[in-house]
Amino acid sequence: MADVSLAAMPQRRPFQHFPWHLAVVVLAISAVGIWNLASASRSAHAPVWISQTAWMGVGIVVALGVTLVDHRAFQRISWVFYALVLLMLVAVLVKGRYVMGARRWLTFGPVNFQPSELAKLAVALALANWLSGDAEKRRDGYGLFGLVVPMLITVVPAALILKQPDLGTALVVLCVGGTQILFAKVRWKTLALLAGVGIVGVFLVYPHLKPYQKKRVETFLDPQADALGAGYHATQSMIAVGSGQGFGKGWGQGTQTYLSFLPEQHTDFIFSVWAEEHGFVGCLLLLGLYFALVTSAVDIVGGARDRFGSFLAVGVTAMLFWHVVINIGMVIGLLPVVGVTLPLMSYGGSSVIAIYAGIGLLANVGMRRFVN
Amino acid sequence: MSLIPPSAPGAAQKEFKPRLFWATGVVMVSFLVLLGRLYQLQILRGDEFKGKADENFVKEIRQPADRGQILDRNRRVLVDSRPSYDVTLTPYFCGKQCDDVLSRLATMLQLTPEEVERARGQLRGAKKLERFRPFTVKIDVRRNELDQYLANEMDLLGVDIVATPHRNYRTGSLGGHLIGYMNEAGPDELKRLNEDVQTSGSGQGPYLLGDYTGRRGLERKFERTLRGIDGKERVPVDAKGRRKDDADALIPEDQRLVPSAPGKNLVLSLDWRLQEFAEKTFPATAGVVVAMDAKTGFLLALVDRPAPDPNKMSGRITPAELAAIHSDPLQPELFRAIQQHYHPGSTFKAATAVAALEEGVLRPTSTIFCPGHFQMGSHRWRCDKESGHGYVDFTHALGASCDVFFYQAGAMLGADSISKWAHALGLGTPTGFEITGEVPGVVPDEEWHDKHIAGGYQRGMAVNLAIGQGDVNVTPMQQLVFYAALATNIVWKPQVVLRVEDPDGKVLQEFAPQERNRLALKKTTRETVMKGLLAAVNEPYGTAYRSRLEDVVMAGKTGTAQVVKMGAKRLKAAQVSYFERDHAWFAAFAPADDPEVVVVVLNEHSGFGASNAAPTAAAVVKKWLELRAQDALERAGPATEKPAEERPQPPPPPPPLLPAAVEKPKLGLAGPPGGRPRG
Repeated sequence: MADVSLAAMPQRRPFQHFPWHLAVVVLAISAVGIWNLASASRSAHAPVWISQTAWMGVGIVVALGVTLVDHRAFQRISWVFYALVLLMLVAVLVKGRYVMGARRWLTFGPVNFQPSELAKLAVALALANWLSGDAEKRRDGYGLFGLVVPMLITVVPAALILKQPDLGTALVVLCVGGTQILFAKVRWKTLALLAGVGIVGVFLVYPHLKPYQKKRVETFLDPQADALGAGYHATQSMIAVGSGQGFGKGWGQGTQTYLSFLPEQHTDFIFSVWAEEHGFVGCLLLLGLYFALVTSAVDIVGGARDRFGSFLAVGVTAMLFWHVVINIGMVIGLLPVVGVTLPLMSYGGSSVIAIYAGIGLLANVGMRRFVN
Repeated sequence: MSLIPPSAPGAAQKEFKPRLFWATGVVMVSFLVLLGRLYQLQILRGDEFKGKADENFVKEIRQPADRGQILDRNRRVLVDSRPSYDVTLTPYFCGKQCDDVLSRLATMLQLTPEEVERARGQLRGAKKLERFRPFTVKIDVRRNELDQYLANEMDLLGVDIVATPHRNYRTGSLGGHLIGYMNEAGPDELKRLNEDVQTSGSGQGPYLLGDYTGRRGLERKFERTLRGIDGKERVPVDAKGRRKDDADALIPEDQRLVPSAPGKNLVLSLDWRLQEFAEKTFPATAGVVVAMDAKTGFLLALVDRPAPDPNKMSGRITPAELAAIHSDPLQPELFRAIQQHYHPGSTFKAATAVAALEEGVLRPTSTIFCPGHFQMGSHRWRCDKESGHGYVDFTHALGASCDVFFYQAGAMLGADSISKWAHALGLGTPTGFEITGEVPGVVPDEEWHDKHIAGGYQRGMAVNLAIGQGDVNVTPMQQLVFYAALATNIVWKPQVVLRVEDPDGKVLQEFAPQERNRLALKKTTRETVMKGLLAAVNEPYGTAYRSRLEDVVMAGKTGTAQVVKMGAKRLKAAQVSYFERDHAWFAAFAPADDPEVVVVVLNEHSGFGASNAAPTAAAVVKKWLELRAQDALERAGPATEKPAEERPQPPPPPPPLLPAAVEKPKLGLAGPPGGRPRG
């Protein structure tokens, strides 16, 4: 009863409950990211930090735009958006732009972008929609049969992305979907069964991986076996990180950065630049910022007013969390080398926009927790 | 609305509480694991990794790309690159011994004090990480100096020898203005060049300090085309910059070498055989010989004298030599063909004739009496022939170059009409030739005189203009376009680059002939002017009669451009100092009935056009027609063995003309009278 009358009430001050701490943390990481890119791109003749700044400007506009619309509107269009992204993922396989042996880019006029970045958000939205309506009926948790649809929602885009090939992003999509599903409560027995199937599956899938992907897994298990080939990234980035020691070599002073030992240093390996130049103290600071980001996001999950909002926030939180953990884990030799960006630190327009859009969704859920 | 289950605020919280608890746990543990690993790498094993980082450097040695070649139309190489070596120094690697290393280099390479000072400045200026960037100490080092270095290599820390292709201008100063030269780009220019490179999307790397860039001529105009893509070699070195033998293991094999990619080649329309012949035949100290394919507007030869040697200009020139070039009164840096104004003199009369006939002030049959002078008001203009030509028509007036006929025509036309038709014929406006820095020329109309001359326009000015004196100024290239227009009715854009090819000879871009304008002259106008130009060469009274050709009918016009206002009495060239002598012009085309080649000769300060320009022009015309016939024969010979596969040569197969010229290659250029006068 109270619901109905409150729902009809116009939102007078939508920003009254805006999660300012989230915004502050995001802007802080963005600033650190630009500053760090300015150092990382010294040896290249294109100062990428300038375009990164521009992308962040666009990202902030996108995020604000996203917060203005009630997230339940997003629930209504979540399927349309999901279908659109699937379509783009197919299109990218058919007529995408080849860059370094992979088709990841679509070109619209002057703009190139990676649809796989949008796929993470699409999965988060679609799953949130499905799970928020569905789980109501399964109070005692999902069984195997009930998981078919949510798993399909996750696996289809992940498979398309894997085909590009982009193992890293596919992995993140799976992690986002998996986290959301776990949040919807899965029966213990089902979970155990799936884990068993998963382990068997790894052994079945492994022979079908691309040679370079296999190599990376093998190298991860034994980095010294091939220090020059696939282990090169891992070895060099560990040298860069380790040589930063306690306080780092100072901004713009990283020899490993400057002398281009590190490939892809301004995208996937950006963390090694930070670690080399700012040392353990700098890493502590950056990890602290990311921790603050993830915990404020978790906070929003708990405070959400409706189930859709909660599940959506879970999806975005998972996206941020897995990006950070997988990327840093890879750079410091804890995980195999897969191409996953570090949110707001790695250079890349599509990634920046996707992250900011996700942040916008989080803020959206967060600021409407008390309204109606 | 049914999709959204109604729920109370915080309803979600209760349900998710246990899961949120777990999630927070996972997050905290993950971050702690990351932190623990960082602690291990940076604090516990920090020294170990620091040591590795300090002992292992990747030194990137640049592999400069070969610049594209410049070829003539027969693929003869005019400009290529020769192997050469630059010596570089990396401040970080010589460390405290830098000064010592530098002074030893100075002795070994016989560096000039300027070069040493410059290197010192670089050493001092390099801060922090810039100290890893090598800078060039000396370019283009000789072989014996190199051997000396190699013997001492171990002692000289931070020194590298970089194999750098150096530009080799095989033709020296011949064609120097057209081809141009290269030299080092200044700091401001580097910035501009690099902006260009970035926006071009050509995949070329940035220009670095010390890099050369095309400075003049084609080298400048086609900089982007000729420039290649530099490669690099990545070598693992120790803290002293010494190559680590065992440490090929530090860099993956596929990242050790990025090979360079050579630039694209330019194929010119010039025929270097003709160019060399023209160079040899042209007696001038300063001047221009330029020949054009009348059917396409592409140049066949371009002699421009004097010209500095591009090999000198590109690098190894001493300041004294450079100063000598700058202060030379002959101005060797001036590309006369397009950058210098001259009075056209009598060659301009053809334009006046066209104007008079088209405007209808004279008919093709009109005659004018020449008493040896022309009077208007109180002013009297002298004819070149003091005794007068008597009654002359267009044919005779152009052939014998009667001034009075054209004074009269000019007085009747006025400056506006003459200027209008001269512009239509391609004068008074840039020709659009590829090389930058072209001057526009001036063909003044009344408005121009009003603006630039004190007292404004007077009718007498049109009288001067009519014979190519007064304020009319043209470039040799404009003259070429002008006479090509008389020959073919087409105002060509002169071009010299036929095509761009990749290093394997695959054609990447082909340049088509470009017409700027097509004239629609009355048939009688063309016939009348043509008769006059034929008479000038082929009638005994013609001014260039001594330069007529035996086997082909040439049409042309002499000109003598006054440099100093005509005195009371005409003086012989020998009686006047060099810079006060007149310029000699000759413009011609042949064969007259179907023109194939247009030639313009300007011999600066040599006096009379007929004797100092026409012989060269005639010889060049004849040589070109001979070369074409010869090529046609050669192509006809092996053609049975080599069928259609061969790419068609740029000049279309010439008609089977002049077999006589081939059989008798040693014809006298200025043969005895009575050869084949015509017209």
